[in-house]
Amino acid sequence: MTPLRVALAGNPNVGKTSLFNELTGARHKVGNYAGVTVETRAGAVVPRLSPTRPITVLDLPGTYSLTPIAEDEAVAFRCLTGAESEPPDVVALVLDAANLARNLYLAVQLLELGRPLVVALNMMDVAAEAGTPVDPDALSRALGVPVVPTVARTGEGMARLVEALGSIEHVPQAISPLRARLLAGDDALPAPPVIEAARWRWLVSAAAAGTLELAGPTAEEQAALAAHPAAALTAAAHARVIARYREVDALLAEIGFTAAQRERAPAMSRSAAIDRVLTHRVWGLVIFVGVMATIFSSIFTWAEPLMGAIEALIGWLSEQVSAALGPGVFTDLLTQGVLAGAGNVLVFVPQIALLFLLLGILEDSGYMARAAFLVDRLMARVGLHGRAFVPLLSGYACAIPAILGTRTITDPRDRLATILMIPFMSCSARLPIYVLFISALFPAEERVGPFTVGSLMLVGFYALSTVSALAAGAIWKRTALRGPTPPFVLELPPYRLPRLRNTLLHVYDRTADFVRQAGTVILAVTVVLWVLLSFPRPPDAPDSGRAVAEAVQVDPAARAPEDMSAETASADPKDTSPSDDDSPIIHSIGGRIGKAMEPVLQPMGQDFRMGIAILGSFAAREVMISTLGLVYGIEADDENQTPLRDKLREAREPDGSRRHTPLKGLAAMVFFVYACQCMSTLAVVRRETRSWKWPLVMFVSMSALAYALAVLVYQVGLALGYT
Amino acid sequence: MAFNLSQLELGARARVTLVGGAGPLALRLLEMGFTPGTVVVLVKRAPFGDPLELQVRGCHVSLRKAEAARIEAVLL
Repeated sequence: MTPLRVALAGNPNVGKTSLFNELTGARHKVGNYAGVTVETRAGAVVPRLSPTRPITVLDLPGTYSLTPIAEDEAVAFRCLTGAESEPPDVVALVLDAANLARNLYLAVQLLELGRPLVVALNMMDVAAEAGTPVDPDALSRALGVPVVPTVARTGEGMARLVEALGSIEHVPQAISPLRARLLAGDDALPAPPVIEAARWRWLVSAAAAGTLELAGPTAEEQAALAAHPAAALTAAAHARVIARYREVDALLAEIGFTAAQRERAPAMSRSAAIDRVLTHRVWGLVIFVGVMATIFSSIFTWAEPLMGAIEALIGWLSEQVSAALGPGVFTDLLTQGVLAGAGNVLVFVPQIALLFLLLGILEDSGYMARAAFLVDRLMARVGLHGRAFVPLLSGYACAIPAILGTRTITDPRDRLATILMIPFMSCSARLPIYVLFISALFPAEERVGPFTVGSLMLVGFYALSTVSALAAGAIWKRTALRGPTPPFVLELPPYRLPRLRNTLLHVYDRTADFVRQAGTVILAVTVVLWVLLSFPRPPDAPDSGRAVAEAVQVDPAARAPEDMSAETASADPKDTSPSDDDSPIIHSIGGRIGKAMEPVLQPMGQDFRMGIAILGSFAAREVMISTLGLVYGIEADDENQTPLRDKLREAREPDGSRRHTPLKGLAAMVFFVYACQCMSTLAVVRRETRSWKWPLVMFVSMSALAYALAVLVYQVGLALGYT
Repeated sequence: MAFNLSQLELGARARVTLVGGAGPLALRLLEMGFTPGTVVVLVKRAPFGDPLELQVRGCHVSLRKAEAARIEAVLL
């Protein structure tokens, strides 16, 4: 028996996700439409609810309307009209019984589309509590479609909903007076004979909104639209919306709502009381800062033990593999390439899962909309939406979860601008690099007033990265990503207790998607980097690969700020011979690339050693330290455990001058502020933008900027007589 | 210049008369319920004075001042 195909539609915040999870037993596949980042989920109704007939449910994005103004609506519209695949057999519309005055607008649009429709009247309990109970039978009579009361939180009404969905094919829906009126229409611009009336209305609306491309018009349709002046299209689209709301008001009157009742927001009274504190001009901001600090510290530090555990597990597995297989190139490939790569992927999982758990709770509770409301004024100065704040802040901890977190930004241009800004934020992996150079090359302990030089420099680099991120956003928004400022128009939904199950499912989806999609790229690049830094091997140095592996692996300790001095001090695993330029890594392809890069690096005061470190740091920024340690470790004296920091300080050129001067260190740090030296970031950007274009743009522009500014710092410094 | 929603005092009510202009914003405002005849209340201003929180058709919707200025209204 062919399954009955149901599409689930509804406004945001009406319990659509809970209802979907109840219907499908939370077993679903996450899908994506070609070319857009909007997600849809599909699953089968559990046999318990539908024993005789298989039913598949497609969960459409939550939208207030079907007019294709943004991607969400466009996806829902295209799916419902069968633009890309066969249209669904029946549409299940979830309505918030406590908020019919706005929810019914979508119902009216769906009736216009003419697809078989069943209404799930959700939140009946909330409506009754708020003093505006809704009679489902009256609503059913008024709409002319079956209406099933549900409480998605408890699963109440699911069996009846499934029954109504299953029987709809056999009971031809009578054309209600309402639907007849809607279909007949009173359009200011009547449809040309070749175009279906309902389709024509959407084309006119999309044309009026300037988003016609989202409706996917044919050449014929475009020509028909072009026959009308823009003002006429706008007037017709506006008149259509007004006419729909007139029908909504008529419906509300029919089910016994007075004009005063539809104006008030009874379901919001409790939320309004909470908002007296949470969006208060003083307390609101104080709490906001507290909430953000919690999110930030969680991804910065709470994830740390888990990341350490993952690293330990990978290390243990590597040892087991080495012990079982004995030394050899194949063993090295497995341990230093494949296992290290898997570690590089999995090490991000705790941060991603934590961020999405917290974001999910904030989103479901209704606080996220308030957070955007509170800081929109600040974000608007850069041309961004208030929702961009949390992902940007997360960027200080790690760009990977931050970029994934931009999914809460609905406008695709804004989202892309935010993604392009995030890698400028100094992530925790860059901190050890700053600390290494500051402590090695500057009088870090000297005091200026109450502050040490080191801490002032550190604050300076963070300020530089923040200002740069904001500038980058402003520049992108004024150039390639210029467009009409997306409407802020944000609903502040009633506060609700988040459903942990829904949030955890979402966390799982996001994390699994990262491991599958971005993870494969990260794994592949790790293996490639291992090959580059290991081959060809000098015949007399069988151990070189081991040290390289330690370099390519993400070291979780390097992320923790409190551990950084220990890290930098012990980054050098083994010191061997003092003879310059003779370490195995220098003979590898990577070493030769580093050498070849030297002429390019000289203007910014760096030599081939930094070239190798920059190359190695592509696996992850903090790997730069262990790679540099490797370069120096092998040059240095056997048994001598001088920390890398001292080595950088003491390293001399053949003429006896210091190899690493403060100016050179400054130039290197400026380079790392701007360089997008992180394959994981690029892999995630590719995943999120669905093309290699933006990661490439990001890498090239940031590397060019990093190079130019490092050269500028070094050359200006030299000209001013500094070393 | 007609009165618009960006000029609304806290707690004041107004009846929408016209959503001006073209493009996606005007259409989105209408679809969120700011249709002529609808009564709107200013619930709150954000800490930095912008955006605004408005009550419309049983919901609380946040608009920037510049967006609210597109909606002409008469004070009630």
